[in-house]
Amino acid sequence: MSAETLDTGFARESETGVFARAGVLRRLARDRAAALAGLVLSGIVLAALFAPWVAPYDPYFTDLTKVMRPPDAEHWFGTDNTGRDILSRVIFGTRNTLILGLVGVIVGGLIGGIMGIFATYYRRLDGWIMRLVDIMLAFPAILIGLAVAAIFGAGLSAVAIALVVATVPAVAREARGAAMGVMGQDFMEAGRAVGVSDGALIWRYLTLNCISTIFVFLTLRFGQIILTGSALGFLGMGAQPPTAELGMMAAQGRDFLFMAPHIATIPSCVIFVIVLAANLLGDAFRDVFDPRLQT
Amino acid sequence: MSDAPSNVPVLQVDGLVKHFAVTRGLIRRKTIGLVRAVEDVSFEIARGETLALVGESGCGKSTTGRLILRLMEPTSGSVRFKGKEIADLDKDALRRMRRHMQIIFQDPYASLNPRMTVGEILAEPLRVHEIGDDASRAARGRELLDIVGLLPEHARRYPHQFSGGQRQRIGIARALAANPDLIVCDEPVSALDVSIQAQIVNLLQNLQQRFGLSYLFIAHDLAVVKHISDRVAVMYLGKLVEISDKKTLYDRPLHPYTQALLAAIPKPDPALRTKRVMLQGDVPSPFRPPTGCRFHTRCPHAQARCSAEEPLLREAAPGHRVACHFFETIPAPTILARAGLANGKFAARLAAFEAAKTARTPG
Repeated sequence: MSAETLDTGFARESETGVFARAGVLRRLARDRAAALAGLVLSGIVLAALFAPWVAPYDPYFTDLTKVMRPPDAEHWFGTDNTGRDILSRVIFGTRNTLILGLVGVIVGGLIGGIMGIFATYYRRLDGWIMRLVDIMLAFPAILIGLAVAAIFGAGLSAVAIALVVATVPAVAREARGAAMGVMGQDFMEAGRAVGVSDGALIWRYLTLNCISTIFVFLTLRFGQIILTGSALGFLGMGAQPPTAELGMMAAQGRDFLFMAPHIATIPSCVIFVIVLAANLLGDAFRDVFDPRLQT
Repeated sequence: MSDAPSNVPVLQVDGLVKHFAVTRGLIRRKTIGLVRAVEDVSFEIARGETLALVGESGCGKSTTGRLILRLMEPTSGSVRFKGKEIADLDKDALRRMRRHMQIIFQDPYASLNPRMTVGEILAEPLRVHEIGDDASRAARGRELLDIVGLLPEHARRYPHQFSGGQRQRIGIARALAANPDLIVCDEPVSALDVSIQAQIVNLLQNLQQRFGLSYLFIAHDLAVVKHISDRVAVMYLGKLVEISDKKTLYDRPLHPYTQALLAAIPKPDPALRTKRVMLQGDVPSPFRPPTGCRFHTRCPHAQARCSAEEPLLREAAPGHRVACHFFETIPAPTILARAGLANGKFAARLAAFEAAKTARTPG
């Protein structure tokens, strides 16, 4: 019996919390690609956050004497067909694109997560919630965007609604899968046997144990949501001119693709870089959070 | 704790039934059949007593344990805890009742919430039932850790930092936290190493003496059961087939199924030869249990009556009940011979070993 009580003392307290920041960040930094993706993404986010201070020009200022200039020292990304500075517009456009992605991830993740967890905890709701999810999954996000834009009019909020609706069912499924695994564990029953209330069981026992799975899923989903948001912008469902938004900017440059290819390609490349970085980071998060891959 | 008169059993289970409906259909759910997991189970447990519930996997013993704690709703039957019917309690009353009845799980790796420290896990029952304040709960947590043989500073750690045996101790400490009267031990040692099993079983016995606990000890390991239990109930396909005090059951099992189970225990004496009752086939499905006696498909003594008429639990001796039509006439399993190895080198080695042992420990 005495051997059992020996202090093993190998695990540090800092690595055991729900989101033990230090441990997660250290493990993330070990992955070169993820570290680079994290740096690039945080650079883009910071630029978008402080857009009014970072952007060299006013994104709405038109100068018809400098129309469709290719990139040079004065305008790093060149100018568009009305002579606006593309770098400034990209910085402001990234802001809108990122906000769309974040709204999609956070609101969609919240609603989807709640649906999935409630479907698992209250078995009676399961059939109803999951059938609803099946129906939502049957509609492509673009179609939902078109419908929302047709009803409420095009604009950033129409795209945001479409992105949320597109995110909810996938998250609900993922959350339900994770929650089902947790529900099957004895500690849920132990909590009930002790007399823990439903609310505490759902939050402290169920949700906290599947939150990392949902979080990883959402980081992986983030790139896809941005892509869908940009596609909706490209189709004219999103931000209306002169507001800058990356998808819409690419659409505007489409008409001048052969005269001034940089107008369309530069916003597209920024979308590409954001999505790639988000996906790489999501992959790394999955590796870090998946206990089976931890050594 | 002692608000009930002492002659009332801690737990009385009467005619407990649990059927799981098997449904089919997407829109209009139709019940196409019932899995009869627990069928008409009755027993009682006195204060400070250990009743072992044994049987094969899937015979309904864990379900019975969960029904008693009302972690599952019984289909019918009554469960009285210190004379009070549990099936009638509403949600709040049931929650208050929970502090008096606890459970220890089989899998120590799954039974502790990985997001809570050991201290939080141990304080949980007290917090839920509003016993004491934060400081006194923390003190109680440290006391509990000491009781189960862990260190007070373990309270700050998370479950994954412990071994299986240590986790099972934490599970036991949690069950003890609110001073329960009854603990359902659902195969508490079958997931542990043999050496750790002995420690945990001894700990459970120790705690029982110290706190006057009653145990419903669910197990399939008859050697462990023999060590810890006072009385034993044998289940087969959702029904009790035999219930008796431990000594009678192990010395003179009357039901053919109990006889077969006992014959399957490995004997540590290689010279001992018993006639092995080999059970043929698998346990039939509880979805379509056999007619009559549920054991008749595998029973070596089955007769025509067994497949037609269901045997009731009958009193064979005071406190010894058997559900078999023919238990009076079934021959007791016999020890065939103590021959063979006993004459050869083994006996000589054994004698040398015994001599060495007595020499080492004088007196």
